[in-house]
Amino acid sequence: MKQKIFIIAGLLLLIAVIGIMFTDLFSGKKQEQTNPYDYKMGEIRKTDSNQTAYTELLTIKPALVEIHAIVNGDGDRIYVAGKNGLEIYKGDGKPDGNFSFEGVASCMAIDKRGKIFIGIQDHVEVFDQIGKPAGKWKSVSPESILTSIAVSNSCVYVADAGKKIVYRYDLNGRLINRIGEKDPQKNVPGFIIPSPYFDLALGKKGELWIANTGRHSLEQFSDEGVLNSAWGEASMAIDGFCGCCNPSHFAFLHDGSFVTSEKGIERVKIYSPKGEFTCIVAPPSAFTEGTRGLDLAVDSKDRIIVLDPERKQVRIFVKK
Amino acid sequence: MPGRREFLNTLMRGGILAALGLLSGAVIFRSRDGKSCSYGFDCSGCSRSKSCMLPAALEARQTVWQLDMTKCIQCGRCATNCVMSPSAVKCTHAFAMCGYCDLCGGYFKPGTKILTTAAENQLCPTNALKRKFIEDPFFEYTIDEELCIGCGKCVKGCGAFGNGSLQLQVRHDRCKNCNECSIARNCPSQAFTRVPANKPSLMRGLGKERPGTAAKKGGVDA
Ligand code: SF4
Ligand code: SF4
Ligand code: SF4
Repeated sequence: MKQKIFIIAGLLLLIAVIGIMFTDLFSGKKQEQTNPYDYKMGEIRKTDSNQTAYTELLTIKPALVEIHAIVNGDGDRIYVAGKNGLEIYKGDGKPDGNFSFEGVASCMAIDKRGKIFIGIQDHVEVFDQIGKPAGKWKSVSPESILTSIAVSNSCVYVADAGKKIVYRYDLNGRLINRIGEKDPQKNVPGFIIPSPYFDLALGKKGELWIANTGRHSLEQFSDEGVLNSAWGEASMAIDGFCGCCNPSHFAFLHDGSFVTSEKGIERVKIYSPKGEFTCIVAPPSAFTEGTRGLDLAVDSKDRIIVLDPERKQVRIFVKK
Repeated sequence: MPGRREFLNTLMRGGILAALGLLSGAVIFRSRDGKSCSYGFDCSGCSRSKSCMLPAALEARQTVWQLDMTKCIQCGRCATNCVMSPSAVKCTHAFAMCGYCDLCGGYFKPGTKILTTAAENQLCPTNALKRKFIEDPFFEYTIDEELCIGCGKCVKGCGAFGNGSLQLQVRHDRCKNCNECSIARNCPSQAFTRVPANKPSLMRGLGKERPGTAAKKGGVDA
């Protein structure tokens, strides 16, 4: 009898041990581990909602595999370029055309005649409105990474993040001069471009502005390459430009105010023509963390068009 | 009784010896047969080939642990789970990728207003990341490995705001090459992997992978 009790007790103990081992091995519960060294991005991504003066009106979802460049064309038609093609949308988001080409478009501009200039890695290709090729410009260097194009009545400005320089071409692709080239003899420090974000745009009076991202500044140059003015401050705070290389993109409102976008802390903001922080268009919470390449355009009604390559969307913001 | 026990013991010893003999015979026979695998054995006919520890043990001698930065999410476990103290995982710097930035997201605490080397501005919990002025506006960042605990804080900051030139790597002069790496066992993103001992690094951007970043160690963009 005594032996039986021992055997039964032993068996029960064995079953209990097996049970515990089984639960320990196969239970879905994972050990919770908190990170004592967490880099808390949450705090720096927070903004004061009173400073956000814009709201998202419309979202367009292009069919392109990747989207990298946006331009507002004649009649407020929105041009989106990316991998192997371009799509056109009306201001209300309805499709209005498309065409294909080979390569990944990194930047784009449209002239008064409707010619579309597309930067593809190290060279510019020109198309008409229906996608008929109208020219392929010579590559400047295999190291070139074209990141921005702007067209005036007489010239085409192209930013090259690879060579850290801006080229001024005539409308047919003949190189006129280089802007911002490093020249220790003349004490020209050159642009500081730590990553392939190097934007340029023409201001209210057609003047050339270039984002010297390594210095967190927007700089105004003459066509001859003389630096006339600059503004910008490195800071994680809302009124500065964060990270190692910002603003990554910028555009102009009709009163000459700057619309800027940043990477690191993804945010779109407006600065007065003098460079004073005015308001937020889209706070970091409007974007997926890690989004880079928020190209910008402004239409005739001062609606701000943001290209969101991460979500693959064109997002239109209007004043609240 | 002792006679029976002795007999059983002898039988068992004999059995084990015979089994070992058979096993080695089979191994020699198969490898002579020219059907050997890279370890010199042909495991195809063996019913226990799946659970066999031999290949893993041999592999461990030819390979080392490394972490793949494309998978790492800087969870902090590289600092807390290594059997070594401080961890054998350290921050390393791919200088060719670095922007030599003044406002370095890996060096400064978020929100730092005045960019000085004051301890309260530094993101690194052990002050292992060193900042040195090169020439306006360039700063060089180096890591004091004795102080680095592999927490990945700077790596996360650099990835978010910069080019991702600060990266975590297992340092093989410190790593014990444990058969079962206790970080690998707990890594939430399966970033740990075995790599050939003669190619132990999985660092990205050691060469001039990204045109336009011609920064040299200790130098300035050309
Ligand atoms: S445990 Fe894995 S995810 Fe966490 S820091 Fe180490 S490699 Fe990165
Ligand atoms: S922040 Fe962490 S990983 Fe970076 S240097 Fe300091 S201790 Fe090393
Ligand atoms: S193998 Fe061992 S010593 Fe090396 S990193 Fe893993 S736990 Fe640390």
